[in-house]
Amino acid sequence: MFQGFPEIKEALMSNKMQAGFMVAPMAIALRAQGVPIKIVYLGHRYGSAVVVAKNGPIHTFADLRGRTIAIPSRYSDERLIVFKALKQHGMSGKDVKMVEMAPPDVAGALAADAIDAFSMGEPYPSQAEMAGFGRVLFHAREYWPDYISCVLVVRQDVIDHRPEAVQVLVDGIARSGLWLDNPPRRQARREHAADFVGRYYFRQNPALLRWALTKPLDRVLYQPLTPLRKDFAVIVDLMRETGVLDRPIAFEEYVDPQFAERAKHETEWRYEPGDATAQ
Amino acid sequence: MKRIASIAFGWLVAITAAHLSLNVDWNVVRERRLPIAKRKLNVAYIPVT
Repeated sequence: MFQGFPEIKEALMSNKMQAGFMVAPMAIALRAQGVPIKIVYLGHRYGSAVVVAKNGPIHTFADLRGRTIAIPSRYSDERLIVFKALKQHGMSGKDVKMVEMAPPDVAGALAADAIDAFSMGEPYPSQAEMAGFGRVLFHAREYWPDYISCVLVVRQDVIDHRPEAVQVLVDGIARSGLWLDNPPRRQARREHAADFVGRYYFRQNPALLRWALTKPLDRVLYQPLTPLRKDFAVIVDLMRETGVLDRPIAFEEYVDPQFAERAKHETEWRYEPGDATAQ
Repeated sequence: MKRIASIAFGWLVAITAAHLSLNVDWNVVRERRLPIAKRKLNVAYIPVT
């Protein structure tokens, strides 16, 4: 487990990690710089929000003028969503100050008044809401339908020499997504997932993840996770517009869709809370 | 002279052992000796949903 996306980038480049979840613009920028990685799947959809102090002076988007907003990286969708919203309100990047901050630090920074707002993925918006000092100003989907944040990237040498291992990984994520988003069982399964992911993987309070996964149930979605050309075209255009990508880049250059195509036939895990194993 | 040499040798052995235990990731070394198909696929993530 890492605490920030730049560390994941370094671990992938040094081959300490062979695959990783990172924000989509970072993956595209790395590929554009010649780093041998490809996006093979999405981690989730939606699940990012701009959060302000609950009892603070910011009530509308226009109130963000002149304020400091924390973002996870300049190569993040959380930065791009702020630009998208700024544009929609007739403002520009010059109207706010964006600072990069490790995701686990933003809620504390907002509570301490070190920043005025943050644009971040879950569970940090939930953390600020749950603790009572934060309020969601807007969710990413309000300005960006089909919003994507984290993607799964894999080193090209692993794709070339171990495609079966990559397929197992992608199939597992696809099955987990279907399992989490099965409509009649969504609530119970998400609560169960929050419990074991919080305890055994994220080392976070399960109640926090329960909040992020269920308030409301579509706050974060885990399907469809196939990387689509039209969704990435929006990201690339915004990256070019905001100066973090200096050349056009073809979809095929940074996405390898073969694993997602094969995963389309997968079905959800056969597992219910309380079962000893999943099949 | 013999005593100085043995202290220096002991120091060298202790420092080398400390370096090998603290600075070398033996899991990575073991992993790299395996055939590609048998190597573990390490997946990096941060605690976001």
